[in-house]
Amino acid sequence: MDDLNLLGPQLALLIGAGLIIIVDLLLPIVSRQAYQGRLPLLSGLALLAAAGSLGWSLALVLTDERGEAFDGMISVDDFTLFFNFLFAAVAGAIVLGSVDYLARHRFQGEYLALILIAAAGMSLMAAGTDLIMIFIALELQAIALFALVGISKNESGSEATLKFLLLSAISTAITLYGMAYLFGLSGETSLDGIASYVANTDENRSALVLAAVFLTAGLGFKMAVVPFQMWVPDVYEGAPTPITAFLSVASKAAGFAVVMRIFLAALGEGLITTDWAYLFAAIAAVSMTLGNVLALVQGNIKRMLGYSSIAQAGTILIGLAAVAAEDPQLLLGTSSVVFFLGAYAFTNIGAFIAIIAISHKIGSDQIADYAGVAKRSPLLAFALAACLFSLTGFPPTAGFIAKIYVFNAAVQADLVWLAIIGVLNSVISAYYYLRVVLNMFARDPETDEAFTPSPYLGAALAAAVVGLFAIGIYPTPLIEASESAARVFS
Amino acid sequence: MLTFAIFFPLVGALLIAALPKDQERSAKVIAAVTTAIVLAAVAYMFIDYDRGASGYQFIDSTTWLDSGISDFNLNYTVGLDGLSLPLVLLTAFLGLVSILISWRIELRPKEYFVWLLVLETSLLGVFSSLDLVLFFLFWELELIPMYFLISIWGSGNRIYSAWKYVLYTFFGSAFMIVGILTLGFTAGTFDIRELAEVGSFDDAIIPAWSIFTLLSIAFLVKMPIVPFHTWLPDAHTDAPTAVSVMLAGVLLKMGGYGILRMSLSIMPEQAADANVIFAVIAAVSIIYGAMMTLVQTDLKRLIAYSSVSHMGYVLLGVSSIGLVGLTGAATQMVTHGLITGMLFALVGMVYDRAHTREIGDLSGLATRMPFITAMMLVAGLASLGLPALAGFTAEITVFLGTFERHEAFTIIGVLGVAFAAGYILWMIQRVFWGPPDPKWAELTDATAWWERGPIIALTIAIVAIGVYPAWIMDLLRDGVAPIAERLA
Amino acid sequence: MLPDWGQVGFLLLIAIMFPIGGIGSSWLLGRIRMRPDYPDRIKEDTYECGVETEGPTWVQFNFRYYYFALLFVIFDVEAVFLYPYAVSGERLVVVGLIEMLTFVGILFIGLLYAWRKNALEWT
Repeated sequence: MDDLNLLGPQLALLIGAGLIIIVDLLLPIVSRQAYQGRLPLLSGLALLAAAGSLGWSLALVLTDERGEAFDGMISVDDFTLFFNFLFAAVAGAIVLGSVDYLARHRFQGEYLALILIAAAGMSLMAAGTDLIMIFIALELQAIALFALVGISKNESGSEATLKFLLLSAISTAITLYGMAYLFGLSGETSLDGIASYVANTDENRSALVLAAVFLTAGLGFKMAVVPFQMWVPDVYEGAPTPITAFLSVASKAAGFAVVMRIFLAALGEGLITTDWAYLFAAIAAVSMTLGNVLALVQGNIKRMLGYSSIAQAGTILIGLAAVAAEDPQLLLGTSSVVFFLGAYAFTNIGAFIAIIAISHKIGSDQIADYAGVAKRSPLLAFALAACLFSLTGFPPTAGFIAKIYVFNAAVQADLVWLAIIGVLNSVISAYYYLRVVLNMFARDPETDEAFTPSPYLGAALAAAVVGLFAIGIYPTPLIEASESAARVFS
Repeated sequence: MLTFAIFFPLVGALLIAALPKDQERSAKVIAAVTTAIVLAAVAYMFIDYDRGASGYQFIDSTTWLDSGISDFNLNYTVGLDGLSLPLVLLTAFLGLVSILISWRIELRPKEYFVWLLVLETSLLGVFSSLDLVLFFLFWELELIPMYFLISIWGSGNRIYSAWKYVLYTFFGSAFMIVGILTLGFTAGTFDIRELAEVGSFDDAIIPAWSIFTLLSIAFLVKMPIVPFHTWLPDAHTDAPTAVSVMLAGVLLKMGGYGILRMSLSIMPEQAADANVIFAVIAAVSIIYGAMMTLVQTDLKRLIAYSSVSHMGYVLLGVSSIGLVGLTGAATQMVTHGLITGMLFALVGMVYDRAHTREIGDLSGLATRMPFITAMMLVAGLASLGLPALAGFTAEITVFLGTFERHEAFTIIGVLGVAFAAGYILWMIQRVFWGPPDPKWAELTDATAWWERGPIIALTIAIVAIGVYPAWIMDLLRDGVAPIAERLA
Repeated sequence: MLPDWGQVGFLLLIAIMFPIGGIGSSWLLGRIRMRPDYPDRIKEDTYECGVETEGPTWVQFNFRYYYFALLFVIFDVEAVFLYPYAVSGERLVVVGLIEMLTFVGILFIGLLYAWRKNALEWT
């Protein structure tokens, strides 16, 4: 029972998913009319599941319940709990952001259930301390995401799904190959076992490095860093916008969580060396630069955010490079990655929800069509502007603190050059982020017809914007949370 | 008290933002009252400031971000010393002026005043921050209102100019944050007071001179110096009048202030090594700016280029790395803020009436607008350094302080004054005297209280500094004295 | 370290040699006419294995087969897990029973889903 208690946050999500499917199946038997109006009921259930998951995580925090479960398959520690909160909150926000989209859609129950299942899978990815567990969790969320990306069944959606499926399969295979190497060398699948193997032997270094490279490549797909980013723009554009938001925030965070878990918990002792830092640093620099430069020329705002998310992933990787360079303590870099992911979740979710609300009303994803949105819906324009300012890294938003924190980690790890590349990339990114702001505020709309977002979108957006300002003005709680998450690996 | 003054404009901004749509007219009243209260608070601090004591006063400090695992501890620390107090006073004063001279704004007045107030908060914050990261926060925050103000309410090529302004500044500040983080990492603190005590950064992870360069680039771009000045004419010309006033009056001083407060006082060794470079850059800026000014045909552009030249004096004073020169540089910042602010306000009034700024189109305005002409003459003469007006005091101090160290560059700098006399008088002669053009027979003089009030107040300030400079110069001298000591 | 990797390399070498050796020796024997060589139309057909190919290769299967394949997986997995449970059912007592019922319940939801979505109807 203790095991189940520790797994509660994920179970809450899964039970919610099961309930939604059952209700969705049985409702037509009860009443045809009730089935037609099932959307509020189903999304209410999904929100309840997300809230239940959050509440359970909170209860675990408050009762100071930590520990391993299922014979060391998962570990519930501060790191896991941080990501439990993150994924459940993101899932809740995505559910709110999807209500408008779902109103025009057939597969309402499936959609909501799949979001919850994917969130549970991501949360298990962060919790897993065994290669098998991590892999199953990886697959759980990946399969749910395939269905979600392709759920709209139009041409671009199908193309996106196929690309996503094929590349994801390849990356999974590569990840698995890396895991197989680790298992073959150490004879263990648990991260602890691998760690003690790595710490106690000097042999087979090159095989370990090979395993690490495979893992980086496979998980690089999840993190969407160069050169494993090819799927991003097409999939982001083809998927339903709420799912794009989900991919760009949750899926990416899950990738980073697993990388941190495997590299810091299992390979930390032996492999985290200065050489390793340069690999991450190089990927970071290339991701930031390529993502930003390509984002400059995008006309479609979803595509632009897709490329920008590659650049943001590069910025987050600076933190990982700093971990690697810092040798013994591992703390600051890890903590900066965790903090950045938290801040980025608020920011990007906010940006995507604002885009859902605006694009739904103006009927276009083109940046040029965002002209004069500020006149038609001042609050929405303000919210999107706040999110974009946060993505650029202007104060007093979460993005400002997050960037400073990451760059600080880089400087402290003796990676000043990487910090300089990072800040210069912020300058590039200012151009395309602010271009959207400029279009909304400084240009005139074609019609003056005012509009407001639906209450669901409004609630999610308000939460995100308040969150990003709150973190920007008083970051201490989130900093403390990410530091205690980072301490797990020290 | 200081915290109140910094954030009160933000309160006003929120109030205005919360106004219902049909109450837009009261936005300007709220804005004016807010800035007036801020000015009163700052004036009170100016009087209350203990001139005998050394160090910072009115310090408010609280922990803002407490990191348990590294030296990344950020504090909210604000305070004023002899250097920052006059600049804060200048900001509060020009803040009120800029609200008043935009009294008749027609386009989206609510947002306009919100952004002006946010701008004021960020500027007050820049000048009073005692924590490097806080300083950087306010420094970046200032970009957002400026971006909106220029791109929405500007004229001409406004969107391009707003871009240029933001990207130039952001580019500079990108380097600054790396410098700040390196300093903080080396010294284990971001507190400006403690950093100033460190003295030597030879054991930093990167060479000390490179930290100095990283820090100074942002300030030099902002100041601006040739060749990073090209954003300035565009931004000044295309910004709305009130924003031009703030831009020339206060924002350029952020660069000079940063050089004095960060580069010079935290890294005196490197600053002393760099003094010849500073002198060369200053001389080039002064002469190049002055020569560019001579050929301008647009009134605002002309004043903008004269700013490049005049900010060169600030850097010239800095390059002396002596007490007199630094005092001169600090005074030049204050006086240039007042004089150029006034010039831009007056040009704005001319433009409002004539709807053109082309010097060639304007002629004989003196008969139509005697008040504006007289005031333009006062500001112009102050700008070219006529004794008994503010400009003279500052420039003569700069030259006195610098002559000893850089004779040749000082002489070049004095040449700049000769140029100034040329372009200012020539401009006034062409625009205000000359044959009255019948085209402009309908123009009226500035008569409204919200036009005359600020201009008269600015004139009083300029004359007051010119006739009896001690009331502000003593303060500035005390402010830069510790910096000069460290440099020696 | 080299000896470990040497074995892997050796295996790799053998793996590469195998197909090259087969094809190469056949080609070589053909060149020196030791291998009889009487090609005809049927022999040169793709996938020559005795049965003549008929019709186009792009045959569309009825998509309902996929439904049944997926449903088969449900029962297949169920059986795979039920056998070991049944073997050690005595020792697992009540907790095991609950766990197994949960498992079967989840699979049942899957079946229910298929049923409600008309996946069990052929027409």
